[in-house]
Amino acid sequence: MTHIFQKFILAVLAAAITGSFSLGVAAQATPKPEPTAKPKIKTQPPDAGVPPPPARHDYKYKYSRGGTYEKAIAVAPNINLTLCVTEGNLRINSWNRSEVRVYVEGGPKFAFKVVDKGPDGRPVWISAMNLQATPGVNAECIWGETVEVDAPAGTSLKLTGKEINAQVDGMRKVNVKTVGGDISLRNIKEGVSAYAGEGGVTVEESWGQVNLETTNGNIVVVDSGPSDIGDTFRAKTNSGAVSLTRVTHRALDVSSISGSVLFNGEIKSGGTYTFGTTNGTIRLALPSATGCKLAATFRSGSFASELPFKIETMNVAPGDLKSIVAKLGGGGDAVLRLSAFAGLIGIKKQ
Amino acid sequence: MKNCLDIGIIQSFLDGELASGEVTRVSDHIGDCDSCAMLLSQAEDENAVVFPALAREFDAMVPTQRLWARIEDSIETEKASAPWWEKAYAVFVTLINPQVGAFAALLIVVGLFAMYKLSGPSSPGDRAGLISKAANAPTIVNVDRPAPAALSGPDSSTISAPSRTYSRPTVENASYSVPSRKPSPSTNNDQQPTVIRDASYVPGEESYVKTIASLNKSVGDQDPNVMSASQQVSYARNMAVVDDTIKRMRSAVKKDPKSETAKQMLSSAYQNKIDLLNSVAQKEDLVASLK
Repeated sequence: MTHIFQKFILAVLAAAITGSFSLGVAAQATPKPEPTAKPKIKTQPPDAGVPPPPARHDYKYKYSRGGTYEKAIAVAPNINLTLCVTEGNLRINSWNRSEVRVYVEGGPKFAFKVVDKGPDGRPVWISAMNLQATPGVNAECIWGETVEVDAPAGTSLKLTGKEINAQVDGMRKVNVKTVGGDISLRNIKEGVSAYAGEGGVTVEESWGQVNLETTNGNIVVVDSGPSDIGDTFRAKTNSGAVSLTRVTHRALDVSSISGSVLFNGEIKSGGTYTFGTTNGTIRLALPSATGCKLAATFRSGSFASELPFKIETMNVAPGDLKSIVAKLGGGGDAVLRLSAFAGLIGIKKQ
Repeated sequence: MKNCLDIGIIQSFLDGELASGEVTRVSDHIGDCDSCAMLLSQAEDENAVVFPALAREFDAMVPTQRLWARIEDSIETEKASAPWWEKAYAVFVTLINPQVGAFAALLIVVGLFAMYKLSGPSSPGDRAGLISKAANAPTIVNVDRPAPAALSGPDSSTISAPSRTYSRPTVENASYSVPSRKPSPSTNNDQQPTVIRDASYVPGEESYVKTIASLNKSVGDQDPNVMSASQQVSYARNMAVVDDTIKRMRSAVKKDPKSETAKQMLSSAYQNKIDLLNSVAQKEDLVASLK
């Protein structure tokens, strides 16, 4: 038995040696180029069949894995809408329907989640849920090349975003927080709260309590005022500028660390206006009939006013902290506090 | 003032291109020099106009990266969608390469030879050895068998228990790595102002200092990737500006303890620092909530 097995092994060995010699001889021949070029993948040029690269700001490629989806839900006229959008261009508009419609282009499938219903059974609090969320990712966040939302004009919106450019028009109340990207809010009736981690904040024709904050971006506000007695305005940026035009709140607190502060508007009687910057300029454009108490503090730089002011106390010793307490115009019960540690303070007529 | 700053240095200061020592020097100088403060404010205004316009350009992804990503994606897709016979053919084509074939044949020969040598003795002496081994075989089997039986038997819990206790030091080692990270925040703290080290607080200062110390710690422990490079530069610059203000206002308050203006400015500067640290913490929280 062992003898037969040995013979079999020897036969196999002989066959293998013969085969290896024949292959070795074949290896001496001129190599054919075809085998290396054969696979189909290699024969195509790298970009054949691949569409040309997108334009700089074209997000189509980035979101090509997503689809186009649209959904609507009937809701109460005054609802709370909670939305989380991680990436994309977001537009939220109001309409005169008791219905919320969400349109996502180049994004995941989504569904509405009814958080709460009113006495009539209609939803009063809804949010959008990502149906294609991968495990470990927040399923309450959607994304897309374009995300459009239409909601009733009485909507109170709570929006959280990662890298989005958000445009909101015509809500009752808005609370937005984004990590990156610009926020643009318009026609908000009863209050705005916006935080942009890295981006600018623009607010137009918005009323109520206003609280704006950005780390690196600029804050621009045009036409804003209180919707209720006691509504205040606060704007804060670390590195950007703050520009306010026709802001009619009676309590303003505006500050920047290394940016400038510009205010073009009225000083209302009984108001308190605080503008501060550490390393920037403060420029105010006020009506010529403005009257208020003025307290300006600065270290280096200077104070200049086109409006007449009557000094009450003044300390402008060189190399020291300078302060001026005065009555601007005819005086009044409004208080204007200006503080620029290493910048200029200027007041000019409108 | 003599030795006014060049506009290039001021622009570098704004762009965050200066070294930390240089930032402090420039910040000090601007604090004392009206004309340089004016130049800085003009440069800031220009930046405020120019940077928003170019922000998209700065933030845009490099097209080459996108192109490569697309090419790689399309190759992957094609590979995945190829039928099985094409894949088999590709393997076959690779194998019929003469060099590869010869090498494979050589491997077969060596393998067969080794198998032949290991399969059994050819000489009578070896056969005798095999017989003697076969005689001792039961002893060998008896030695080998108890070991698997011990693994699967009741003693296995005893074995796995040490393995459990053995895993604990691994956990301790993992937790031990946490202190090793702490030097980096403390290094960050070393770059922070010297205010905390000074025990002679002016009235009302101590609570600010404590708050800042705790915020510094929490911010130092956070993920450094939360802030982009430009934001980190901006943060460092703002921190230098605020620290400089605090330093100057402290000396002003010490010089004239009755000056309410100086006290207010000092409080305001401390508040700015707290807000600055809070902004980092707030961003970290926001990023964490979106994961």
